[in-house]
Amino acid sequence: MIQLKEIDKYIESRFQRVFILKGINLTIGEGEFITLMGPSGAGKSTLLNILGLLDEDYAGEYYFGDKSIRKMKDKERSSLHKSEFGYIFQAYHLIDELTVYENIETPLLYRSVSSSERKSIIADLLDRFNMVAKKDLFPAQLSGGQQQLVGIARAIAGRPRVLLADEPTGNLHSGQAREIMEIFQELHAEGTTIIQATHARENADFGTRLINLVDGRIETDEAIAK
Amino acid sequence: MNLLIFQSATADKSLKFSNTKAMWKNYLIVSFRNLKKRKLYTGINLLGLTIALVSFFVISLYIYHEWSYDRIYTGADRIYKFNQEFISGGEKQLVGTTPSSLVPTLIEEFPEVETGTLVFDLSIFSSVMVDAGEGNQEESRFAFVDDNFYQVFDFEILAGQKGKLLNEPNQLVLTESTAKRYFGSAQNAEGKSLKIDGQEYFITGVMEDFPSNSHLDFDFLASFKTHRHGRNPEWSPSNYYSYAKLRPESNPKEFEAKLPMMVEKYLGEAQKEYGFQTSFFPQVVTSIHLGDQTIRTVKPGTDIKYLYIFGLVAILLIAIGIINYVNLATAEATERNKEVGLRKVMGADRVQLFGQFVSESMILSFGAAALSLFVIYLVSPQFAKLSGAPLDLNLLFSIPGMLLLAGLVLIIGLLSGMYPSVILSGLEPIKALGNKVKIGGGAWVRKSLVVFQFFVSMGLLISTFVVKSQLDYMREVNLGYQREQVIALPYHYNMRKSIDAVKQEMLRTGAAESISLASDMPIYIKAGYSIFRGGDNQNEFMITGYSVDKDLVKTIGLEILEGENFLDTDLSRTMAYDSSMEYPVILNESALQQLGWNAGEAIGRKVNFGGGMAHVKGVVKNFYFNSLHHGVGPLAIFIDPEQANVLLLRLPAGNPAVHLARLEQTWKEMAPDRPFNYKFVDQEYAQLYRSEERVGAVFGLFSGIAIFIACMGLFGLVSYVALRRTREISIRKVLGATQHDVLSVLSADFFRLLGLAAGLAIGFGLWFTDAWLAAFANKASIGIWPYLYAVLIVLLLALITIGYRSWKVYTMNPSKTLKSE
Repeated sequence: MIQLKEIDKYIESRFQRVFILKGINLTIGEGEFITLMGPSGAGKSTLLNILGLLDEDYAGEYYFGDKSIRKMKDKERSSLHKSEFGYIFQAYHLIDELTVYENIETPLLYRSVSSSERKSIIADLLDRFNMVAKKDLFPAQLSGGQQQLVGIARAIAGRPRVLLADEPTGNLHSGQAREIMEIFQELHAEGTTIIQATHARENADFGTRLINLVDGRIETDEAIAK
Repeated sequence: MNLLIFQSATADKSLKFSNTKAMWKNYLIVSFRNLKKRKLYTGINLLGLTIALVSFFVISLYIYHEWSYDRIYTGADRIYKFNQEFISGGEKQLVGTTPSSLVPTLIEEFPEVETGTLVFDLSIFSSVMVDAGEGNQEESRFAFVDDNFYQVFDFEILAGQKGKLLNEPNQLVLTESTAKRYFGSAQNAEGKSLKIDGQEYFITGVMEDFPSNSHLDFDFLASFKTHRHGRNPEWSPSNYYSYAKLRPESNPKEFEAKLPMMVEKYLGEAQKEYGFQTSFFPQVVTSIHLGDQTIRTVKPGTDIKYLYIFGLVAILLIAIGIINYVNLATAEATERNKEVGLRKVMGADRVQLFGQFVSESMILSFGAAALSLFVIYLVSPQFAKLSGAPLDLNLLFSIPGMLLLAGLVLIIGLLSGMYPSVILSGLEPIKALGNKVKIGGGAWVRKSLVVFQFFVSMGLLISTFVVKSQLDYMREVNLGYQREQVIALPYHYNMRKSIDAVKQEMLRTGAAESISLASDMPIYIKAGYSIFRGGDNQNEFMITGYSVDKDLVKTIGLEILEGENFLDTDLSRTMAYDSSMEYPVILNESALQQLGWNAGEAIGRKVNFGGGMAHVKGVVKNFYFNSLHHGVGPLAIFIDPEQANVLLLRLPAGNPAVHLARLEQTWKEMAPDRPFNYKFVDQEYAQLYRSEERVGAVFGLFSGIAIFIACMGLFGLVSYVALRRTREISIRKVLGATQHDVLSVLSADFFRLLGLAAGLAIGFGLWFTDAWLAAFANKASIGIWPYLYAVLIVLLLALITIGYRSWKVYTMNPSKTLKSE
């Protein structure tokens, strides 16, 4: 489904290039649940951003299906971005001025989903995450775990095939973190491809594959035994 | 099981447009919440835009009112007023009045002329006394018009029969408010009579009040047949306004080309004999009000130059309002980059983000529009007083007015929302999310906008000061005579028998030091005569004539350079009834120069003045007898009590009220049928500059507004800079920075910009000073003070604005601000 070939990402400084990613070759199949691990500054977030088409400033080739991202027009790229990817952030990044309901609705609006369909999708998601009663609250009125649930609901509302999560449990205590991971597992079971970056080894156990990044390189890449 | 949801909602791209409504609803909700959250920002923008819109619409309505003059009559573009040009002795003079024979001749001899009418504005000469049975009242807006008046100008007739109003002698039409004043209502007035200057008039009808956008403006219209010249039209004198309405199919150019033939036919001989040339020029009525201001009309017009200036000011103010928004919104963008980044991550494209920002600015501009309508409603009476033109609010609330407003609001919303949205939606989402971004790219735009705002503010303020300097100069300049402590009382010919006794009594009581009869107040002497050296009728020229009595020189303090003042025994002009009798005149220096004499040799020389023989009795030092737009032209002073319209009185030193009370007592005893309506000559003199005064006031008002809006914008901008640099300032403070240091950190950049704006504004001011003063023959010397004051005032206000803000930052507790990082 996704193939990265010789991806380099660097910053030019005055006397030398500082590499953030160096020679990344990675093939991701449909339905995988990948965990990216590694110390701070290893390049996890950068790799996620490149995968999610949020960062286009890199060297190397990126194929989605059989198409090269580099050869796509802006429009194609942005529609691919809209239809295939969902994002979850460590700091939740909900829009403070919108209610829970409206936050989940926003990506649907950008995807031109009809009103009745939106209603049913949001209703199902609220139901699934037990947030029906909180739908009219603003993010500041929720706990961290609840905010992240809204973040996940918002990310999957547009039915992306790939879910990208950058430290999704980094701001949560262990009980909440576990709940989030179980939801990821459920989504994975439904067929969603998930790529998460994390510091927590226990999160990797929910996935199918563990990739260790060190200094911008892939150090190990192994399947997780169930 | 949950998979089902997703499958049922298989993407259906055909729904692309079905939810634009929902999208807009979402935009609006978010916009409202955003605006509510940032109250300072919203308040500044709303107030700035509202003030700008109010100014814009008030000025627009004013300009429209001035433009709409005389377009109200049916077929207004076919109605012409006739002006007359005299050329004699190489001097050209264009006057707004014509002989009484012109209109009848035009109607009779020109097939193009559908109808025509003549208006004799008596106020050129004097006011009238109206007696409704309970004492005399002085009225000045009185005119004789002929019976075609209502065929040319289709004013509404409220009472009486159109076509039978002013056909016979001694008929009178009142305007509605005059009818109400005298009789309570229009219906009551019809059929009644009024005694005016001793003559009985029968009221045949009542018309609507003259609209404020008509150049005609009277309270009383009497039939011209009552007047001597109405019965026997003549080609001299030229005292009448003439109007003709051409037929729709006629060609005005061809018509105009035929006018010289008429002049030749009726005035050819006179022209040869007296060595002058004359011609008539039709002027379409719609161009009277904004046209050549030197041509006399019933109502003083408006110099179109001022409409351009005001229009420019209106646009500048709107621009300043928009700039405030753009500046604040981009400055604020640093705070909103997270939201924008998120929306991009969730799939918003630029168009969608654009919609978001523009909807926000639209809400603001619509809010400002609604607010401004309310404010306009409140301030329109005050503005009307200031500008002298009532504002037609119905026009604003009409469909075109509302469409204009809506259009303007859309443009403002679009313009002011566009720049921030372009800047913000162009951000790379991942950087925006990281809060690392500084909106640096727009800095120079923001800076140039600040410069522009303050350039406009300072430029307007400099202009205000220049206008004020010239007004002060004109008010205080030495005119060559004394206008302080001099009053003018209206005099009428029918007082001639008692006037000497009145004068004596007033002098005896000590309430007046000196009293003179005069045709006009010395501030503005209107009557024109011809003059040439005795026997040399080829060098005739026009001269202003001032008919007075011997006490004028003393009353207004004129300086006789050569010869002497008039004596009691001197002949008046009217007494010199046969051409063998000479009467004395006193000439001013300009007249002498044009006659080619020097002061010494002039005394006793003969001149032909106003058709009679006269000799030069004295030479008076030049004094200004017209507004200072003009220099001092030639002037002849002569004795003629029969032409007197005013009594000039010099009051003794001391409280004028005491003297006035005594004068009034004498007046009431000795001239009981004449009202005691005095005017101070120096106050009337100030009235000459009413239109400049208004320009000054309007400039002052709008430069104040511009400065206010600009300072508000500056406040907002400094607030955001302060917010962005809170951490830096807190650290500085921990390290020992004083309040002064904080101020200089925050203000250094801005003051560099203000300096640049000041430089530009001074450049503009120099140009404006030149251009504006060009209209005055007598200019105030403008030093550096207007520039210095304007710049310093604006800088001071800016400093206060920034200072207030930096004080608030300084007083914050650094332990709090630093903890949040």
